[in-house]
Amino acid sequence: MSTTAGNGQVILKLDGVHTFYGTIEALKGITLEVHEGEVVTLIGANGAGKSTTLRSINGLNTPREGSIVFQGKNITRRPPHEIVQMGISQSPEGRRLFPHMTVLENLEMGAFQRKDRSGIREDLDRVYGLFPRLAERKGQRGGTLSGGEQQMCAIGRALMARPKLLMLDEPSMGLAPIFVEKIFEIIGEINSQGTTILLVEQNALMALDAAQRGYVLETGKVALTDDAKRLRENEQVRKTYLGEE
Amino acid sequence: MRGYRQRAVRASRLSRVAEAWGTLPERTRSLTPVVIVVALAVTYPFYVDSVPTNLPVIKTVPPLHDAVTILVFVMMGVGLNIVVGYAGLLDLGYVAFYAIGAYTAGWLASGQFEQVKVHFGAVGIPSSATGIHISIWLVLLIAAVVTAVGGILIGLPTLRLRGDYLAIVTLGFGEIIPQFVRNGDELHGFDLTHGTFGISPIDPPGFGHTLNSAIGLPVRYDESFPPTPDRLFFWTILALILLTLFCSMRLRDSRLGRAWIAIREDETAAGAMGIPLMRTKTWAYAGGAFFGGIAGAYIATFNSGAFPTQFDFNISVFLLCMVILGGMGSLWGVVVAGTILAWLNFDGLGNIGSWINTTLLPSSHQIDVPKYSFGIYGIIIVLMMLFRPTGLIPERRRKREIEEATHGGPLDQPLYEMRGADEPGAGERGEPGKVPRG
Repeated sequence: MSTTAGNGQVILKLDGVHTFYGTIEALKGITLEVHEGEVVTLIGANGAGKSTTLRSINGLNTPREGSIVFQGKNITRRPPHEIVQMGISQSPEGRRLFPHMTVLENLEMGAFQRKDRSGIREDLDRVYGLFPRLAERKGQRGGTLSGGEQQMCAIGRALMARPKLLMLDEPSMGLAPIFVEKIFEIIGEINSQGTTILLVEQNALMALDAAQRGYVLETGKVALTDDAKRLRENEQVRKTYLGEE
Repeated sequence: MRGYRQRAVRASRLSRVAEAWGTLPERTRSLTPVVIVVALAVTYPFYVDSVPTNLPVIKTVPPLHDAVTILVFVMMGVGLNIVVGYAGLLDLGYVAFYAIGAYTAGWLASGQFEQVKVHFGAVGIPSSATGIHISIWLVLLIAAVVTAVGGILIGLPTLRLRGDYLAIVTLGFGEIIPQFVRNGDELHGFDLTHGTFGISPIDPPGFGHTLNSAIGLPVRYDESFPPTPDRLFFWTILALILLTLFCSMRLRDSRLGRAWIAIREDETAAGAMGIPLMRTKTWAYAGGAFFGGIAGAYIATFNSGAFPTQFDFNISVFLLCMVILGGMGSLWGVVVAGTILAWLNFDGLGNIGSWINTTLLPSSHQIDVPKYSFGIYGIIIVLMMLFRPTGLIPERRRKREIEEATHGGPLDQPLYEMRGADEPGAGERGEPGKVPRG
């Protein structure tokens, strides 16, 4: 890993974010920080607000209260396309490829906001380098890929925006163990190439191994935050999320 | 013996032709049918009168005057295809664009506003005539822009909605515009639309005396042009359709077109990719409206009038049928289906009906087939959904979308989609059920 916790500057800061779905308060004042070069993970049970936190950051849900600051700019009420342009992209929960576009077309959609052709070309090569499987399947439709390949494609698509902050929502969901290992290996590689990563996971063990710091979310609040290593040793975390006695 | 040999020679010639055809480049082969269709269409005025009028079932081909109207409807179908086929937005109020186009022509090329006297490039209008008289060519362009702006204005509040809700609101706008037109004859004492009487006459197109003496272009379309001015109207609408098709193709393959398709496939994912959803959808509306506006203005000058009764809700549905029947997103499909449906509407049903009455039914039990037109279109759509849900000539990508939406045969497919739409969150997640497919 290229960096350790807290060395880089703060790249993203959430301060007291409250987000609602209708009248249901999904986030009850989330405060967290991501530093440049880090892998930070959000872990927690179903419905703890992990995905909502990501949706609040990228503008798909607008927080009712609180602020989200990215690289010194307040992005709390900015629309998603502006946030992508500022350098935050994500691989959404459930991957959500465009099912009838080819792998290549999907990757190109990731670069929708960009105009620098040579840069896009470079990033395409980079994605193919990270995921040689995608290069083999570039003419195949997104919907016909296996789950693991779809996840690779979704991560690749998010990388095509050349993000400063990459958000990954449950990249291990529904994948065979061998693919989960592979995906986490590549997450580490992407991070070592200099991209900051905010990782949402239910697979807390893998996530805490990959991350430098972690936040434990419980019913819309941050219950605990610490170094990833220390969180792994924390008795409560071990019992609740790692299934250890 | 000799007959046999001749036949053999002919067969070997045919197979040689087929072989030669196979060696032609892909592009030539795919372009040939297009070239043939265009050539048949361009020369239509020359042979339409020599087609026999006693053909079985269909009796004859449409006369030139009807052919112009048919082509105007085809053009609107191609325009609607941008909204429904490319961007996947179900629009049930396309007739509003048609009306805005027609009334723009009414305002800018007639004596409607007798308080003023503005002449600009209009042909064959006495200089003493009151009202606004602008050259029809310019009016077509202005109508397109005005209608596109109208599309944006209608789109801004409505396009935040998805699927069924969008359809309901557009339906509302499709009703509001004709109502406004019907009642717009006394807006604080100002007569904007001339109410139920409509605006008439509207100036004809033409090129004026300068271009006439220079390169022989007609001065005015409605003046006797051998043998009929309909020829000029026909060729002009043909050119407008080709322009619409060309623009549609370029749009489809552009960055904007890919954004439309991404929204059609998964709106939320498209948003997460940085596609500005509102702006992109509004552009689809504006694009569709642009061509609807030209079509409206053109039919206004062709009929020399714009009347509120022309802009019925039925027309929106009729145009939507063209797009569904042709295969959503497929240009050639919409052209073929549009031609067939519009022909049925203006000539075909009447001809087929009279054929049925004279040859199949006793004189005591005659039926009035055109009276059941919408029932017949309904049956056509239902049969299409059952046996060919991807449309007559499916767009390649669209075909994949629809075929994959079902794991069973085509029969399962409409049921599947309905179920998909009812699933909780299906609309939000942009599953196959999300975009209404009619």
